[in-house]
Amino acid sequence: MTALLEIEDLRVTFNTRHGQVTALDSVSLHVNEGETLGVVGESGCGKSITALSVMGLIPSPPGRIAGGEIRLDGENLVGASDKRLRRLRGAEAAMIFQEPMTSLNPVFTVGEQIAEAIMLHQKVSHDRAFRDAIELLDRVGIPSPESRARDYPHQLSGGMRQRVMIAMAVSCRPRVLIADEPTTALDVTVQAQIFDLLNEIQRDFGAAIVLITHDMGAISEMADRVAVMYAGRVIEEASADNVLDHPLHPYARGLIDCIPALGREETDLKEIPGVVPPLHLLGEGCAFADRCAHCEPRCLREKPRLVTHGNHPAAHPAACHGVEEGRI
Amino acid sequence: MTFSILLKRLGYGVLLMLGVVVLNFLLIRLAPGDPAMVIAGEMGGATEEMLSSIRAEYGLDQPVLTQLWIYISNVATGDLGQSYFFNQSVTSLIAQRIGPTILLVLVAQLLSILLGVFMGVIAARRPNGPISAFVSVFATVGYAVPVFWTGIMLIIFFASVFPIFPVEGMASIRMRNAAWYMQWLDIAHHLVLPAVTLAIIYLAQYARLSRASMMEVLGSDYIRTARAKGAGERAVLFRHALRNAALPILTVAGLQFGNLISGALLVETVFNWPGMGRLAFDSILRRDYPTIMGVLFFASMMVVVANILTDLSYRLADPRLRGKG
Repeated sequence: MTALLEIEDLRVTFNTRHGQVTALDSVSLHVNEGETLGVVGESGCGKSITALSVMGLIPSPPGRIAGGEIRLDGENLVGASDKRLRRLRGAEAAMIFQEPMTSLNPVFTVGEQIAEAIMLHQKVSHDRAFRDAIELLDRVGIPSPESRARDYPHQLSGGMRQRVMIAMAVSCRPRVLIADEPTTALDVTVQAQIFDLLNEIQRDFGAAIVLITHDMGAISEMADRVAVMYAGRVIEEASADNVLDHPLHPYARGLIDCIPALGREETDLKEIPGVVPPLHLLGEGCAFADRCAHCEPRCLREKPRLVTHGNHPAAHPAACHGVEEGRI
Repeated sequence: MTFSILLKRLGYGVLLMLGVVVLNFLLIRLAPGDPAMVIAGEMGGATEEMLSSIRAEYGLDQPVLTQLWIYISNVATGDLGQSYFFNQSVTSLIAQRIGPTILLVLVAQLLSILLGVFMGVIAARRPNGPISAFVSVFATVGYAVPVFWTGIMLIIFFASVFPIFPVEGMASIRMRNAAWYMQWLDIAHHLVLPAVTLAIIYLAQYARLSRASMMEVLGSDYIRTARAKGAGERAVLFRHALRNAALPILTVAGLQFGNLISGALLVETVFNWPGMGRLAFDSILRRDYPTIMGVLFFASMMVVVANILTDLSYRLADPRLRGKG
């Protein structure tokens, strides 16, 4: 079975004050129809850049896709014409953004904004599109959608706005839905509702979902498979259960250890010491080396590759010399 | 809701006009010079007797505050007094002149907003591109050059080098008996140079402002959303971005209206345009107090009305402001 969305060896560079930096370094990911892929990592690890690359929305300049392929249903999107990309955006691949408060245009009603998405990809009248928009608002659980459709974004709460964003994203039944930290800006109770909604939408529409998050809780609830990213590279990839129960890479372990558990007696919260290094300071070796408790001289010299080490049933690809050498 | 806001704004407007009237009156009295002398001079020689009879006739012998009171109560009934110089009621003088001024100011305003915003939008699309550089240079030059200089240069150019536009007046005498549409075309023809002269400086400002405003809006999340749903470049620029970028432009357009009217004074003088600016110029030279105050009164009124309209259009353009006092 071929994957619906395949990213292969994707390399994205940005021109900055510090010269050219590599924001994504040979990133390979895939997601199948009806599947949810979780992409986790700290801020600045390249999750959002990956998502924007798929949408063809890398701000350019200064950004540039320097190599690799992004295939949607076998069609390579890297180097595709603007016209072709516009036709795919919103129709075949849609995206939900992190900031529902600022992601809707303040001067148009929400119904109008959803209707616009519909009319961009389907030959329907404005009335028809607006009625569809009302239906979608109903579908994403907005009460009295009829009158809400005529509201402006500032008249809705954050959770409501994110529901509107979801309605807009699914309005043309995209085959791939990218959700970039869709719940970060929302209350915890609303977060659960949004995840439920995404699950429902996936069931009904059969879309593949790429869920970008730094919240391991969201991963355990939503994802079938997980890719862990660090400093522009994928460093571990496996089924969600596998990663959560048997994390290999010290960074992945760290992320999972950071989840505070109810009922466990803990005096303080765990953390991973240090921060993601600035991209222009990445050296020869493993990007995580200076934060890693298992760092050895080889880790500073040589970049680890993402491969499966050993033949344990839970073994899965991880980019770590320590795992390869059986030290960890 | 909107109606009560309109009433409130109108109320403020009336108060503001009252303040303007009082201030105009007092400021002009503070200026040196005696109108009785000027009037007497026009009549051919001033004797003490003549001066005092003139003062009595125009109420200039009363205490200033009494004069002010009389003036305000007259203004309230729509009587702006009698021009010392033109020997007509100020109201009728202004009635003859206000049309050409409004025409000139509105055309210049429209021209500068439409062209300026268009240039700004195009420039914002590629902030480092050649069009953007051209707009920046044009804006700086346009902003720095004084209105009268632009006017004189245009007159020189179009009077001698390339005589396709009339450089003086508002209508040709030979058109006096022509059909109405020919007369209109004639006026439009005469309007080109003064309107362009008046528009250039504001055009430059709008171009700069809308370039900056558009660049900010184009970096916002909802523009990314618009692109993510597959909107084309033109829809993104003119539908999604411009509606938002227009808000600061509207504010400035409202504020600029006053400057535009004072700019019109210079332009009307340079091009001999028969509007209020010329009237103001002539009456200042002759210390024609009632006419000066009448002109100031109407100019202020135009500014106040423009500000009320700006406020209302702001509400129309930005749904977040609707229903807020």
